[in-house]
Amino acid sequence: MKTWLSVARYQLTDRNVFVIQPWVVLALDFLIILVIVAQYPGRHGQAVYVGALAGIYVVLIVTGALSIARQLPFALALGVSRRSFYAGTALLALALAVAAVYGLGLTVLQLIERGTGGWGLNLHFFRVPYLLAGPWYLSWLTSFVGLALMLAWGMWFGIVYRRWNLAGLLSFIAVQVLAVVAVLLIIGGAHAWHGVSRFFTTLTIGGLTGLLALLTVALLAGGYATVRRLTV
Amino acid sequence: MTPAISAAGLTRRYRGQLALDHVSLDIEPGSITGLLGRNGAGKTTFMRIVAGHEFASAGRVTVLGASPVENETVLRQMVFVREDQSYPDLRVRQVVQAASWFYPNWSHDLADALLGEFNLPLNRKVKKLSRGMRSAVGNVIGLAARAEVTLFDEPYAGLDPVSRQLFYDRLLAEYAEHPRTVLLSTHLIDEAAGLFERVVVIDRGRIVLNTAADDLRGAATSVSGPAIAVAEFTAGRPVWDRRRIATQESAVVAGTLDETDRARAAALHLHLEPLTLQQVVVQVAGAPAASPQERTSA
Repeated sequence: MKTWLSVARYQLTDRNVFVIQPWVVLALDFLIILVIVAQYPGRHGQAVYVGALAGIYVVLIVTGALSIARQLPFALALGVSRRSFYAGTALLALALAVAAVYGLGLTVLQLIERGTGGWGLNLHFFRVPYLLAGPWYLSWLTSFVGLALMLAWGMWFGIVYRRWNLAGLLSFIAVQVLAVVAVLLIIGGAHAWHGVSRFFTTLTIGGLTGLLALLTVALLAGGYATVRRLTV
Repeated sequence: MTPAISAAGLTRRYRGQLALDHVSLDIEPGSITGLLGRNGAGKTTFMRIVAGHEFASAGRVTVLGASPVENETVLRQMVFVREDQSYPDLRVRQVVQAASWFYPNWSHDLADALLGEFNLPLNRKVKKLSRGMRSAVGNVIGLAARAEVTLFDEPYAGLDPVSRQLFYDRLLAEYAEHPRTVLLSTHLIDEAAGLFERVVVIDRGRIVLNTAADDLRGAATSVSGPAIAVAEFTAGRPVWDRRRIATQESAVVAGTLDETDRARAAALHLHLEPLTLQQVVVQVAGAPAASPQERTSA
């Protein structure tokens, strides 16, 4: 446990990757959208929806990957086991601290957006219909789970890259694409599209958040299983 | 006594290449051992497996009596300073600070003193440092960690002579004050020879020499002079190497020479010179693959 905390502290020492980068990207992302929407506001003051919030989620995949690819070799030299490194990174530094704090940040920004009438432009940057549209605590929970999911996914990419290099990374991506295609084919083959679409249309955001949380746990388990085979 | 590091039948295969071939070796606690050999001989692979960074294909390694693989108790007492260490994007100060969090016996005073003596710029990114300075950062961590098992892989790479001397002095002083098990690989053999209590030479993944350093001093002698005299003197003795230029010959004779031998050499007008540790290693590790076995007896 003490080692986990030290690993978390070690991870957060590189402020660029874990603190500065995601927020700089989000700020730039937001400013660009704000300038564009100020130039071309919605007709008759209609609400403007943009999907640009996805930017921070994409950045966190990179953060997750870097947290392994860049930080792991030195930690191992300092006698940290792979398991402790992964646990410290996943549970403390990233999934809990970063995702929870960042989720809270996004929630606060969403409240400000709501309070200022969409930054005076009726802009929906932090309020994403369906996904981040409910009460603040639900928005916070959904952002938290979403961010943790991205980090866990990115970490797994980082492990695969560290262990099997570029060829391994590409194969890993290919396997994921194939898995999605296989699921689609199975649904099609079983003539189950009707049921699937009904499932998703009736799924509440709370339910979806639960599903994402399960997926996050699965990704973490996958990363944990892979990190044990890693060599430096 | 449980050996600090123990390997039995340790083998590591990479695609079509045998990096370690049934290596069996025990290193006693509280000793400084030199791990010597040519590039690609298997030194780094051996250390990586000992540190749990790499897995063995076959055989077994124990450190402080237990397997080091994912063993937090063992790992906490071990530090591995690697020549090819890749560092995160951090400043010297941050890297050393981060290292201090993982070692129960870490000495802040020693780390600060060494950082000053090596002239390391605390606020520069480790990635921006020269090779020698990067080595120095590793050496600071390796010494200040005061870890029971300390592995140095090529700690001198790129270091200037002043810093190297500093490292030897500090290592010996530290070792005297806080005994630990040190395994150190280097190519600057004669320079580091004074440190070693034991010498292990590894060649093509096999151990070809494993002996107390004292036994190696005078273990082989270079005999030079007129070819006929050299031939007479070396007759019946194990000879490692012969070089001849015109009528002059130089031969390396294995085994210690006694007073009678020396008197005889003087009578034959032969010049005797004991081989340095480096020369012994060159003889042992530079030999063709065929006959390294007979050399282990030296």
